[in-house]
Amino acid sequence: MLKRIYLAGNPNVGKSLVFSRLTGVQVISSNYPGTTVELVKGWLSLGDEKVEVVDLPGAYSLEPNSKAEEVAVSLLSQYPKDEIVVINVLDSTNLERNLLLTLQLIEKGFPTVVCLNMCDDALHRGVHIDIAGLEKILQCPVVSTCAVTGKGIKTLVEKIKTAVPAVRAKFSHEELWIEIGHIIEDVQRLEHRHHRFRERLEDASVQPLTGFFIAAGVIYAAFKFVRFIGEGIINKITDPVFFDLYRPLLEKFSLHWQEKGFWFHLLIGDLIGGKIDFKQSLGVLTTAPYIEFGMVLPYVVSFYFILSLLEDIGYLPRLAILLDNFLHRLGLHGYAIIPVLLGFGCNVPGILSTRVLESKRERFIASTIISIGVPCLPLQAMIIGLLGSFGGLYVGGVYLVLFSIILILGLVLNRLLPGFSPEFLIEIPPYRLPPPGMLARKLFMRIRAFIFEAVPVVLVGVCFINILLYFRLFDFVTGIFAPLVRGIFGLPKEAVVALVIGFFRKDVAVGMLAPLGLSIKQMFIAATLLAISFPCVATFIVLWKELGFRDLVKSVLIMVAVSLIVGGLLNIFILR
Amino acid sequence: MKKISLIHLKAGHKGKVAEITGGSNLAARLMSMGLYKGKEVTKISHIGLKGPVVVKSGRTILALGHGPAAKIILEVVC
Repeated sequence: MLKRIYLAGNPNVGKSLVFSRLTGVQVISSNYPGTTVELVKGWLSLGDEKVEVVDLPGAYSLEPNSKAEEVAVSLLSQYPKDEIVVINVLDSTNLERNLLLTLQLIEKGFPTVVCLNMCDDALHRGVHIDIAGLEKILQCPVVSTCAVTGKGIKTLVEKIKTAVPAVRAKFSHEELWIEIGHIIEDVQRLEHRHHRFRERLEDASVQPLTGFFIAAGVIYAAFKFVRFIGEGIINKITDPVFFDLYRPLLEKFSLHWQEKGFWFHLLIGDLIGGKIDFKQSLGVLTTAPYIEFGMVLPYVVSFYFILSLLEDIGYLPRLAILLDNFLHRLGLHGYAIIPVLLGFGCNVPGILSTRVLESKRERFIASTIISIGVPCLPLQAMIIGLLGSFGGLYVGGVYLVLFSIILILGLVLNRLLPGFSPEFLIEIPPYRLPPPGMLARKLFMRIRAFIFEAVPVVLVGVCFINILLYFRLFDFVTGIFAPLVRGIFGLPKEAVVALVIGFFRKDVAVGMLAPLGLSIKQMFIAATLLAISFPCVATFIVLWKELGFRDLVKSVLIMVAVSLIVGGLLNIFILR
Repeated sequence: MKKISLIHLKAGHKGKVAEITGGSNLAARLMSMGLYKGKEVTKISHIGLKGPVVVKSGRTILALGHGPAAKIILEVVC
């Protein structure tokens, strides 16, 4: 009885895309090894049965050498072999390297369907594979697919039921590689292709001289584009909607309000100069939607568009190579740049993806650095929106402070923590031109996730804050912390509320600073503090899950210490 | 024929893996990724003095930290 289908294969062969095609469950897939860090399950209808499909983390071999491989192997041995079918996903452009796992799967007696994925790309690169020949040698069904376009997926589903265990003698790795050499000679034909532009570019991006030049260009262009697209959306779409359509509507609505009591305070908030001010009124219908849709969402769209593009092209692993030297000094290796970049979107997926790092030590350093020194996108959007009006210098200043913190913290942690961090050993994917449809789908998924996760929290949060403010329930907390906040950071006692709110939503917290009438220096310090102090509650939970309680406490102590030191120093050294 | 470590090979040059010294864990990992004794590799680049090394073996491009790269001994024609 078939109960489970496992998708197994080397890292970065498109397992997640095949998974999405089979189950209809949308998962994020990117062009670098280690995208899938969480175990994903879905269902596939075969006739009138429903079969569970599991997307396993990438593995090169069934003799595990890494954590991802351990997970894959232990899952494969969880159930009796007659209840499962393994769909072994291969990268057709690199058949040779992929076949080791295939032979091991067959050798271990798993009923296997071989899925030669990325067949379009293989054809493009002049790789021809004799499917019937391979089927005969491996004694299991072989299907050629292109998960990006959906080609071959139907045939793949049809073949699942035909998979039976094949009989094979067991070999050592050396013997397997020799056998693979023979198989390749039999079934693969390579057309000779000249070095084309793509390969030249791939080479140039990892050469010391051209590589750094390209990296600088890519990073600069990425920043420019994120701002350009983000501001474009704000100026052309969201601001006109809010100011020309929504505000007149709200004003008409609020005119009917006779007395400005509790409900007015809750929904509309305070009128600034007799008018609704989206940045300062702090109402559930005014500031809350404006923060999320008018200030943060445009940057969510632009940031994830550029990030998804870089991910799918396959640039990030190359950036990792170039930054390896630098990150080594911080006790990390180059690949840590991927969790850090994801962290700039939202700290939660950033910290989750520290699983691509092998050692506990590295994961601790990376998670702590991300939660302290990497501001999430909603926070950045608000900092740009509020501090930006005082000049780009202040926005740049926040980033400079954060970067210095990452640098110093990494150096110190690397010195103090026992042990050492393992080195880099990673496969570099080829550059690929992502199909627009796939890019759009991924962007849509990320935006939808943001809207579903952020908007309810923000609405409920602002509602809650307004109730507390209306009944002056914050006074107790502000009273306790006021001396500390005023003494060390030079902030007024009302800022305590914002700093506390930061634990729930960073963007709302920055928004709360707006009506306080802070000086630019105070604004700068408060914004920086929000970035480095406690992470938001979602990040906190993920940190706990990933690091365990002891390391979480350690990490939190570091956060508190860093906030106090940095906030205090800024207060002393910034003159105005 | 002479034997040198991967870090001493010049970028753009080829060599055949003669030996992978050090822990068996590294050898096993490289083996599963298709880099084993007798395999021909081309060094693509080397970042900085103590930086990572990029090699091509077959159709696979691998990036290795300086430490692991030093442990791969190659046979080169000179």
